[in-house]
Amino acid sequence: MLRDADAIQGVSLWQDAWRRLRRNWVAMGSLTFLILLSVAAVLTPIFPLQSPVEQHLRDRSFAAPNRQSVQLGLSGLDEEQRSIAIKTLWNDPSAFDEALIRTRLAIFGDWAVPSLCGSDHLGRDMLSRLFWGARVSLIVGVVATFVSLIIGVSYGAISGFAGGHIDDAMMRVVDILYSIPFIFIVIFVVMVISEPTIKGPLESFGINRLVAFYFLIGAIYWLTMARVVRGQIISLKNEQFVDAARTIGADSARIVFVHLVPNVLGVVIVYLTLTIPSVMLFEAFLSFLGIGVEEPNVSWGLLANEGLKVITPIRIYWWLIVFPALALASTLYSLNFLGDGLRDALDPRMKNR
Amino acid sequence: MKFPLRYLLPLFFLVLSAIAFATIFQFSDLPPADFTFANGTEVKSVDPKMVTGAPEGRVIEALFEGLYQRLPSKEDPNVLVTTPGQATSYDLSEDKLTYTFHIREDAVWTNGEPVTAHDWVFSWQRFLHPQLPSEYAYQLWYVKNAEKFSLSKVDTGDRVEIELPDRAGPTNLPATDGNSEQHYPRGTILSGILKAEEKISVQVGDEMEEGSVFEVDVKPTKAGKIDWDAPGEIQKFVRLSETDAVRNAITKENPHVQPVNFLTIHFDEVGIKASDDHTLVVTLNNPTPYFLDLVAFYPMHPVNRTCIETYGYPGWTKPENIVSNGPFTLEFRRIRDRIRLRKNPKYWDAEQVKLNIIDVLAVQSDTTVLNMYMNGQIDWGITVPTPALPALLKRDAEKPADSLPDMRIAPMLTTYFYRVNTTKPPLDNPKVRRALNLAINKQEIVDYITKAGQIPATSYVPPGLAGYGGGHSGEFNPAEAQRLLAEAGYPGGKGLPKIQILYNTHEAHKDIASVVQQQLKKNLQIDVELRNLEWSVFLASSRNLEFDIARAGWIADYPDPNTFLDMFVTDGENNQTGWSNAEYDRLIHDSQSEADPVKRLEMLSQAEQILMDEMPILPIYYYVSLNIVRPYVKNFYPNIQDLHPLHILEIDEAEKQRIFKAEGLR
Amino acid sequence: MIRFLIRRAVWIVITLWLVYTLSFFLMLAVPGGPMSGERAYPPEIEKMRKDRFHLNDPWPVQYWYYLSNACRGDFLSSQVLNDYEVSEIISQGFPISATLGVLAMSMALILGLSAGIIAALWRNSLLDVFFRSLATIGIAVPNFILAGLAIMIFVFQLKWFPAAGWGKPIDMVLPSLCLAAPFAAYISRLTRTGMLDVLGQDYIRTAYAKGLMPSTVVLKHAVRGALLPVVSYLGPAVAGILTGSLVIERIFFLPGLGTHFIEAVTQRDYTTSLGIVMVSTALVLVMNTLVDVSYQLLDPRIKLK
Repeated sequence: MLRDADAIQGVSLWQDAWRRLRRNWVAMGSLTFLILLSVAAVLTPIFPLQSPVEQHLRDRSFAAPNRQSVQLGLSGLDEEQRSIAIKTLWNDPSAFDEALIRTRLAIFGDWAVPSLCGSDHLGRDMLSRLFWGARVSLIVGVVATFVSLIIGVSYGAISGFAGGHIDDAMMRVVDILYSIPFIFIVIFVVMVISEPTIKGPLESFGINRLVAFYFLIGAIYWLTMARVVRGQIISLKNEQFVDAARTIGADSARIVFVHLVPNVLGVVIVYLTLTIPSVMLFEAFLSFLGIGVEEPNVSWGLLANEGLKVITPIRIYWWLIVFPALALASTLYSLNFLGDGLRDALDPRMKNR
Repeated sequence: MKFPLRYLLPLFFLVLSAIAFATIFQFSDLPPADFTFANGTEVKSVDPKMVTGAPEGRVIEALFEGLYQRLPSKEDPNVLVTTPGQATSYDLSEDKLTYTFHIREDAVWTNGEPVTAHDWVFSWQRFLHPQLPSEYAYQLWYVKNAEKFSLSKVDTGDRVEIELPDRAGPTNLPATDGNSEQHYPRGTILSGILKAEEKISVQVGDEMEEGSVFEVDVKPTKAGKIDWDAPGEIQKFVRLSETDAVRNAITKENPHVQPVNFLTIHFDEVGIKASDDHTLVVTLNNPTPYFLDLVAFYPMHPVNRTCIETYGYPGWTKPENIVSNGPFTLEFRRIRDRIRLRKNPKYWDAEQVKLNIIDVLAVQSDTTVLNMYMNGQIDWGITVPTPALPALLKRDAEKPADSLPDMRIAPMLTTYFYRVNTTKPPLDNPKVRRALNLAINKQEIVDYITKAGQIPATSYVPPGLAGYGGGHSGEFNPAEAQRLLAEAGYPGGKGLPKIQILYNTHEAHKDIASVVQQQLKKNLQIDVELRNLEWSVFLASSRNLEFDIARAGWIADYPDPNTFLDMFVTDGENNQTGWSNAEYDRLIHDSQSEADPVKRLEMLSQAEQILMDEMPILPIYYYVSLNIVRPYVKNFYPNIQDLHPLHILEIDEAEKQRIFKAEGLR
Repeated sequence: MIRFLIRRAVWIVITLWLVYTLSFFLMLAVPGGPMSGERAYPPEIEKMRKDRFHLNDPWPVQYWYYLSNACRGDFLSSQVLNDYEVSEIISQGFPISATLGVLAMSMALILGLSAGIIAALWRNSLLDVFFRSLATIGIAVPNFILAGLAIMIFVFQLKWFPAAGWGKPIDMVLPSLCLAAPFAAYISRLTRTGMLDVLGQDYIRTAYAKGLMPSTVVLKHAVRGALLPVVSYLGPAVAGILTGSLVIERIFFLPGLGTHFIEAVTQRDYTTSLGIVMVSTALVLVMNTLVDVSYQLLDPRIKLK
């Protein structure tokens, strides 16, 4: 009998989920894509791409995708000129990026990938801008969502479980924040932190517009998460397993974070997969209104907005809109499919099936 | 309880849907307009004194007509000439200081009243009135005593007018609320001679504050005439421009001091007079060769006294109330959508007005403008998105030679330039500024960024002003620039701190700034960083000299170099560079009283050369107008001021149908 | 229920006041007033123009002046469009935005719910994959790109709709479709997820076991359960449609509240932007109340407090 019991391996929820996820080829494909994309984004400087900011007004403005080979023109320079050139061509890279760029120069020399995705009105290489834009877009999406996740889940769970006046008060706060049209606040904060008197001190703390963005967007998107989690907790907290936990003497914090939160994780993950895309879309939306990521930084939203400006009935520079839109869409697609897969995999009712 | 609540949400949706569909069908019976154009933005007002922009100008020019108007010349339609409008002719005195305008006998307002010289006296008084002077009020300061009146400056011995706080406004605004813009009809007017202005200290809270009390010898008025020689009565007044606390304290402590709305120089002293119903006499401070252009300028157009006194502002601007005298009337306005104009049958030259209904659209986005144009929804757009420009030009080039192009590109009296902050090293050194100017390849900017045939600027005043030579800043010359920079003590750009270019958030400004950044880096090894600010923040920074280099543009108010040059006098409001040069100030000042037009332009040329040697500004290029107009619109001519009177336009219906058929439009 | 509504009304008033105060001071802190034009004017003129809006007063005076007027529903006159009161701007813009919003919302609900239900019932079928892909396009492509592409296809290729503008009923179709797309996508996802949740529940199995018709089970039990997440999404969706309409109204040149708001904020029109913020805030608050009420009606387990 004991031997039999030993033979039955305890399968945790997560192991079980992982087993089921692996069987879902769409989700696995998405996961692979996202991992590759993240790695590519982090390691962008090491790829032999052209400079994302260098302009070629004369010969390459609105150049269609082509396979003409490109030289960076760094080969004949001495060390000092070279580091200046690196600073200009890659727009003051961080130490990490500069190391990667130097590695790349050591490996590939002067050679750079041709403008496979064409170039924009200033003759800047689209492919390179897409890669550098991936960094900003992904970081905005992930960091802001993470911020919203932490705030939203704890807030919603506590509120839902506490109930009564506390719940009421906490949800009023959410209501108040909900009912402020956020774009308004965002426009405002962006403008305030662009103020020279405010910008200087902030930057000395390492807070620039981009960093402010993470927190701003994160601080907006936790509201939905909090509401959903609260709603779920409310309908779950009268379930028997909560009573059971309470009977064996679990305290409130334990009930909330050990028993209730894992049970709403499915919903949370579905929302998460909706939140990352919508944060990325929100960034694009801000770019459309001209208050998004600042040049010389690029994001996919910014690229898409630049692309939109060149869709006219008279002439469509399709590569300027198609590639950023594709990049955005495929990433968001993958996130969504991964979310679906995770949702199915994490469903406790699917256990051992 | 169960029934209503269960259906609350669907009910709410039903109500909303009802509103939605009611709104949709409310406007669906709108007859199509004969001519539709995109005006760039919503007009801020249709009251001539309240506005300053070109979009407002286009609407106001259609609604109101001034003494003179600017129309394409018969000989060369690309040149604007001042032609009679509501005035038939004018006489100019020997000393070129007095203009006598003869008002058209057949001119009437839309309410049937005749247009008389008194309308200008009223309109220009309202235009200048210190209660809410027009932003353009300074355009009339060429007129004798107009500036004094507008800024309510008074000197001892002046004849003054005093408005008592007994206004009977058409709406129940407090009569003493001097901040109300509804300042007509005015309260009782007293006239007199200012005897003295005395400063009185009064206790306000815990502090002593100072206020002005005016002592006036008030003259009696008999049958509407002021008897200046009769013995008067000395009275004391305190003006509304004092703070409330000070005013109250003064009148409390000195019961004989009366609070009044305004105390200004008497309007009879201002050089604007109606000698009879059809004769307007205007006296100027100095000979002003461009004065005729000013009276043709839309802020100077007349408004109807009856209408304004009945409805006040803004009530009188409502389509149901407005009375106008121009070629069109205001049919309706929908905010940020459209203004509909209809032909005015009472206009003196109504026979020549061919269009019946005009729609003025407030479209903001260039892309939307082009979409609507290509879809046949509008006939004229005032600009096009730059990326589409090469394709549009190519499309025009492929047309048969005898047909009109869609794109009408013409140089304009507008300059794109950079202001340099001359108060901060290293840019306080003229050599550095000149080096910067010579190191910027402006040809490259117009060829590869703006792309619409803009002209690289080598001076501040754009070319095209007859008889004006102008200054010259030198052509692109990196070698010379490097030499100058070395001479200034920064050989090879070494030791020069990072320079920042400030611009207001806009695609084109960003592109130009980044090209300049690369050029300066390449030609002078100077590090430049870019900073963009939202419009009003940008303006504040420019004014407070919180920049190294700041983007700017200047549109001529009237076709004369003075409109560009007088802004750079020491401490001029629009100088904004900290630059000051005594010789320059003297030339500008003297030129304003110079009667000989040739000499005057010569002096202005000299002044501009000083500007170009000292380089407090870096001129980049001269603008061009980028109108896109359907070829079936007749009488549309490009010109340097980009003015296109609506009442001379005409639609060639046959051509329109041919083009629409060819493009598959409805 | 009545007590709930009264209490909610009190909260709405407090919220509106907080939002008003917050927005007022945020705007006050931003440098550069609405009176700034490209040119500088003599200080006397500048002062008189600012006096019109009490901008020279110290902030407590300004705040009191603006707040007391706002309480009376008077948001004063616009600081940029001189001829108009803010209330005129709102009353002209609101019906247009409401029309756009209601049309978009109805389209989103109809498309989203039906796609979601179908996808859930025929899970993993070709139809499911198709709807999910379509939904993901809605979620994955920013609606300004969607709108740009839609204009190219439906206006210039197929010539079905006008490019932009506002006047005829047909002008509304394309903008509301573009505005509805992401919400339809969200709703279909939520419906599918909700349905799948419900279909796995015991009571559905019981219902089947009782021998009820599958269609009855789906319509009476499953859909109702699946509506819950959708209903709770309606509140945010209203806010989202307000935000989305900023973009759509701009692209399609519709003179709605969104257009007015963006213009007002960028031109520093304090009074107008404050007015529009208050209107949209009130709208969202009312919608949230309605959502809470309907949430309870749909799920009796939840008690309104």
